[in-house]
Amino acid sequence: RNKQSWIIAMAGSPSPLTTHVLNTAMGVPGSNMSLSLYRQDPSTNAWNLITTGTTNDDGRCPGLITKQSFTSGVYKMHFETAQYWASMGETCFYPHVEIVFTINDPGQKYHIPLLLSRFSYSTYRGS
Amino acid sequence: MMAAAESGPLTTHVLNTADGVPAARMALSLHRLDSRLMIWTMLSVGTTNKDGRCPGLISRETFTPGMYKLRFETGSYWDSLGQTSFYPYVEVVFTISEPEQRFHLPLLMSRFSYSTYRGS
Repeated sequence: RNKQSWIIAMAGSPSPLTTHVLNTAMGVPGSNMSLSLYRQDPSTNAWNLITTGTTNDDGRCPGLITKQSFTSGVYKMHFETAQYWASMGETCFYPHVEIVFTINDPGQKYHIPLLLSRFSYSTYRGS
Repeated sequence: MMAAAESGPLTTHVLNTADGVPAARMALSLHRLDSRLMIWTMLSVGTTNKDGRCPGLISRETFTPGMYKLRFETGSYWDSLGQTSFYPYVEVVFTISEPEQRFHLPLLMSRFSYSTYRGS
């Protein structure tokens, strides 16, 4: 049984929330970047950690959240951008990038990419 | 007569890329991280003018090296236009190690996307 089918079998259905980090300065995926996903507690406004992970060779991080856990609310993706550039011996204007977004319809799929250089970044809501 | 140049070492410009207009009347605030206490201190708060700019964010004297955050109230902005937005707010956190330079941090945004870069 190969590793990929084992991962899919263990993970169940794919995460309804995905990300993809692209290093636009070098034209490569942003691999080996640490990131974490939080959900905001609506009564206290505190951020609760859901997952931490590291992007793979393709700049992706599967398994961010399960369908069951993906409820309506305010979420935050945190990307360790300066740490990523430091691992390549470079500085980054942004010590980290946080993207805060509102999920009103958790039945949909949400793709939150981060296109990043040392001095710029962008993101959009994909599916 | 030349219009007053946008002075100050740190400036911003918010563009509504969905409608192709400056994002006027957006509330925003500038914060600096107190690295001893590890808390954010608000330095200034303002609203973008009809050109999407907000002069006077910080003076040269106050602009010391450190970690800063510009927070844009994007959710309230779109709400005032009768629309929803994917992002309740946008915070751009950046490191200033050479405060003698000029830093222009625009925000280009729509309801479902945004981008920023370090300009001068």
